[in-house]
Amino acid sequence: MVSGEIVVILRFLLFPGFLFLFLLAFFIEWFDRKLVAKFQNRYGPLHIGPKGLLQPLADFIKLLSKEDITPASADKVPFFLMPLLMFALAITPLFCIPMDDHSALISFEGDLIVVMFIMTLTALLLFIGAWVSTNRFGTIGGIRTGLQLFGYEIPLNLVMVGPAIGASSLSISRVVQHQFGGIWFVLTQPVGFAVFAVCLLAHLQRAPFDIPKADTEIVGGWLVEFSGKKLGLIRLAKNFELVLAGSLMTSLYLGGPWGLGYHNSFIYLIKLFACVFILSNLRALFARYRIDQLLVGAWKYLTPLALLQIGLVEMLPW
Amino acid sequence: MATIRIPFGPQHPALEEPINFTFEVEEERVVSVGLRLGYIHRGIEKLAESRTYLQNVYLAERICGICAFAHTTCYTQAVEELFGIEVPERAKFIRTIVAEMERIQNHYLWLGLTAKEMGFETLFMYAWRDRETMLEVVELISGKRVNYGLNTIGGVRRDISNAMIEGIEAKLDELEERAEYYKRICTKEQTILKRTVGVGILRRREAVSLCAVGPTARASGIPRDVRSDDRYAAYGEVPFKAVTYSGCDVASRILVRIDEILVSIEIIRYALKNLPIGPLNVKVPRRVPEGEAISLVEAPRGEDLHYVRSDGSDKPARLKVRAPTLANLPSLCKMLINVNIADIPVVIAGIDPCIACAERVTMIDVKSKKRRVWSGRELRRYALEWYQER
Repeated sequence: MVSGEIVVILRFLLFPGFLFLFLLAFFIEWFDRKLVAKFQNRYGPLHIGPKGLLQPLADFIKLLSKEDITPASADKVPFFLMPLLMFALAITPLFCIPMDDHSALISFEGDLIVVMFIMTLTALLLFIGAWVSTNRFGTIGGIRTGLQLFGYEIPLNLVMVGPAIGASSLSISRVVQHQFGGIWFVLTQPVGFAVFAVCLLAHLQRAPFDIPKADTEIVGGWLVEFSGKKLGLIRLAKNFELVLAGSLMTSLYLGGPWGLGYHNSFIYLIKLFACVFILSNLRALFARYRIDQLLVGAWKYLTPLALLQIGLVEMLPW
Repeated sequence: MATIRIPFGPQHPALEEPINFTFEVEEERVVSVGLRLGYIHRGIEKLAESRTYLQNVYLAERICGICAFAHTTCYTQAVEELFGIEVPERAKFIRTIVAEMERIQNHYLWLGLTAKEMGFETLFMYAWRDRETMLEVVELISGKRVNYGLNTIGGVRRDISNAMIEGIEAKLDELEERAEYYKRICTKEQTILKRTVGVGILRRREAVSLCAVGPTARASGIPRDVRSDDRYAAYGEVPFKAVTYSGCDVASRILVRIDEILVSIEIIRYALKNLPIGPLNVKVPRRVPEGEAISLVEAPRGEDLHYVRSDGSDKPARLKVRAPTLANLPSLCKMLINVNIADIPVVIAGIDPCIACAERVTMIDVKSKKRRVWSGRELRRYALEWYQER
């Protein structure tokens, strides 16, 4: 069937594939910036496009046209590869998220594990990127990224497994389908959802956990030596990570694109933006933690809470 | 354990002005601090010698963009002492009112900056928004937001009319409400407490021996305030008490400043109510009688000192300025020992540094690396020769 193949290709290229994801990434950056600006009593992006809607795209194009500097003492090849890899790793897991239908573009038993693995890999990639850039602030930022990973990764992965246990499947699409039949996991596992949101903030390195790239302390941390195209790609990758974070919250805990008896991408988008709203709101509320405070907090509160949640899932019938 | 040396400045996002620290760091702890000044020395003291006394009022205003009024008050007081004249009562009250307004806007600005160093952007935006309220009032009185141009030798140049007073009082209520709100936040919000309590300790004893001034000293429990110790302007007639906290850390420095905002609002209210009627200034001759004078003013950042020597001409023979930041730098170096790398910006911000005011020059022989102390006469001769060679 030729037309069936064309549909598959179009699904990859247009919707819910690359084009949709790119637009979503830019839009979500605008949404986040505008929202945080509102919380902080500012305007936010204003000039390019209606209500500054095209500002993220303009920023991206501007960065592409800027001079791209490689430090003389940097390890050239990994320094060049790091933004590309980061971009690729940020966009790949999004294909495992069901956005309009019960099944994602790529769906197989165990794709949840792959997503977890890729998320850890991006953090490691930041560390390597910082290390090869041989900047002192970058190195400190890289080390902080690594330390932060030790803090949030275990609770993050534990609470991602929670819904999988509930649905008896390690596939994100199956988890979503399970919620269509029953109730959303956010109702049965509220603690897991809260821990998940906090861990995602740490994973995304957003305030109050922007410790590895704290501007006022270490001048941007691991990001400090990247400029021009590389910085543009890294920023875009960060947007994709935000989309992924919101999507995972939506898919694992809020029933994905299913709601009110319907399933379409509109419902998915509403939920996604609700999740981004939560993440942005948290970002505007707090001062930055110190790295030791984060680690203590993660091991004292997040990990036990995540374990408790998993224990409850095992014991309770739903 | 090996130590790493981390350069901090002269260009660093946490610093508003260029200054250079070199930290020796063991793991994440600072073990020693090296300090280097001299990136924005502007030669104001030398420049003052070539201008008339009146012109120097406007020069003194530009020593610091934030404590502009404190510097002009300090300078004009010194010159008035040389003349031996008494400033009219109304001028004294207006000086007090505007000085307190300057303190309020400075403390709001500082609160925002400190919040930014902690990574609390929202508080930064809020505090700076509220600072605008104060700036609008100052603009209403003087026509300008930053360098007010209000002081002159012998009094002030502009009056506060009765029509203005109503508007000012409404804005003061607003500012008071906001300050109380920030005080609640800074004593309750967990992330702020985590970043400030017990950070950058300067004990009372150390603060005394290192001659800390201003809010930095008051946060270490020393009730040192020129306004109450050496009552200048109208402070002798206004009832108020210096704010002290004994926490000795950044949290106390925040609370001292927020409480000072509240005290300043009370002072302004009292002064506006009791504003005496009379002339704004007295006329003074161009030539200043021979002599020397020292004047002290409590600038928002601490004790500000101006020394003026006159040789009987219309230009000062010497103007010496000791801005509060310079007095607080030794305390800062003490506070920075043993803090976490992540806390360095908060601790530096804690003393409210204004580097351009504090700039000094030392003569160092590059070859032998020896430092020399020059007498005033030697320095003057050197400067004259240097200018002639140009």
